[in-house]
Amino acid sequence: MLFLQLLLQGIQTGALYALTAAGFALIFGATRIFHFAHGTAFTIAGYVFLACWRIDQPVLGALAAIAAAVLFGLGMERFVYRPIQRHEGSFFTVFVAAFGVAVVVQNLVGMIAGRGFASVDTSLSMAEEVLPEIFLAPIFWVAISVAVVLFAALSAFLTRTHAGVALRALAQNPDLLRAYGLSSNRLSMLAFAVGSAMVAPAAILTAMTTGLNEAVGHHVMLISMAATIVGGVGSLRGAALAGLMLGVAESVALQFVDTQWAEGVSFLVLFAFIIFRPSGIFGVAQTR
Amino acid sequence: MIAYAANLATIVAIFAILAATLNFIVGYAGIFSVAHAVFFGLGAYAGAQVALLLMPDALLACIAGAIVAGGLSLCLALPALRVRGEYFVAASLGLQMMATTLFSEAKAFTGGIGGLVGIPRPTLFGIEVGVLPLALVALALILFLTARLQRGAFGRTLQSVRDAESAAEALGKNVAAAKTLAMAFACAGAGIAGALFALHLSFVNVESFTMDQSVLVMAMVIIGGTGTLWGPVVGAIILLSLPSGLAFLPFIPPTEVGAVQQIIYGLAMTLLMIFRPAGLVGDLSKGRATS
Repeated sequence: MLFLQLLLQGIQTGALYALTAAGFALIFGATRIFHFAHGTAFTIAGYVFLACWRIDQPVLGALAAIAAAVLFGLGMERFVYRPIQRHEGSFFTVFVAAFGVAVVVQNLVGMIAGRGFASVDTSLSMAEEVLPEIFLAPIFWVAISVAVVLFAALSAFLTRTHAGVALRALAQNPDLLRAYGLSSNRLSMLAFAVGSAMVAPAAILTAMTTGLNEAVGHHVMLISMAATIVGGVGSLRGAALAGLMLGVAESVALQFVDTQWAEGVSFLVLFAFIIFRPSGIFGVAQTR
Repeated sequence: MIAYAANLATIVAIFAILAATLNFIVGYAGIFSVAHAVFFGLGAYAGAQVALLLMPDALLACIAGAIVAGGLSLCLALPALRVRGEYFVAASLGLQMMATTLFSEAKAFTGGIGGLVGIPRPTLFGIEVGVLPLALVALALILFLTARLQRGAFGRTLQSVRDAESAAEALGKNVAAAKTLAMAFACAGAGIAGALFALHLSFVNVESFTMDQSVLVMAMVIIGGTGTLWGPVVGAIILLSLPSGLAFLPFIPPTEVGAVQQIIYGLAMTLLMIFRPAGLVGDLSKGRATS
């Protein structure tokens, strides 16, 4: 029974991982920018929601969280990545710049909101016994339906709308896209906006379940990165599936090891993939 | 005051070793490791165990640190041989996170969260010595070796691997061996820094070997200038004098000094990358030294 409980727990965590990973994969797929500050958008969204919750404005908080994440993503694209890509754009320069931003935001959040775990208490996170010895909180269903609805919306966006199709075209051939008169700058801003917006629901749900701390961004970034690589770069579905898998693996592993090793399980999976199948589950073989 | 200055100088020398060795793989070999603190930690634990269990000989401790860290550098060389760029950074981040857990759990070797305490004062051939001269000698040795290696055939091979891996391979260079060796050299250097660090503080625990530390060393290399000989040393001096400088500013509460320091170097990293990607020293000598 413990196994089933852990499996359900893992699906809940995995659904949230899948959301953040899909945002990361969308940005990376479309713009080829390895957005290391993706976890920072998560931290910002989570703490904005927390601040609004404290003054009893949950709905406003959710909207503000999404807005804050989108603004952060756009700001990164406009003021950090674009100037770098203009003159050099080596991967390492991008990584260091994004990492610097992540460090700054982490410490600012720590100074303003205080260090350590903070969470919101809702009736949604109260666990009930649904089956003998199986406890589920209503938030389980919320997390899963939010993830499913957002994925449906995202794939509809990418396949049915002009902007979505253009985004996929940007991923495949930016030069051709420009030749057809579309603005790649505007499209990469769109990718950053949509990708960053995806973390806000995950951040809000995490604040309701396990809670946030100022360093949560690192963890989110690592998981998104791991899921993108394991899923295969360029594949949104792969990233989401791998995110779900990592969540389940971390949770189920608790049956055999102590909690502090949970994160290690994710990296064992990542390590194994990097060494034995660097192109990931759905990826095409690349020479990198 | 003299004791304070000597302590700061020792720490600067130790971190300059760390930054110089990280610069060796980042700047010359193009291997962007974010796990340098892991090897620093391995060296520190190995050196501390030698001093505690056998005898507090500084040379012996350094050798033990270098062997353990250099040997285990294979953990990182393995992914480095398979993937490059973003993928490798992901792998090294993963290694860093796992190592932090391992350091706090492997209590027999590391003493867990509590760490190893009461490491005796170092001696050299039976005579008690300070850590400062040892660290300066080690730093000079590492800088000398780096300069020699960089100019020699090995360094040229590494730089060709960094700039065009397939071309280097096509010209008959053994890319795998070059990368593994570079990694072993850099990690052994970090191990020596770790052993000296343990002897200097006479106490080590996992807090000194976390991801924050890796990022700090990374920042030293970048702010100083990757791929330059003196850049990492300059970076280490600047970043380590920062907290003592900040402590004199009255309007910053003492509890926030650490956070303010991190904000400053985070900001410095981002702004440098946007406006001057070669780092502080990089521009003066060659114009553009980063890969």
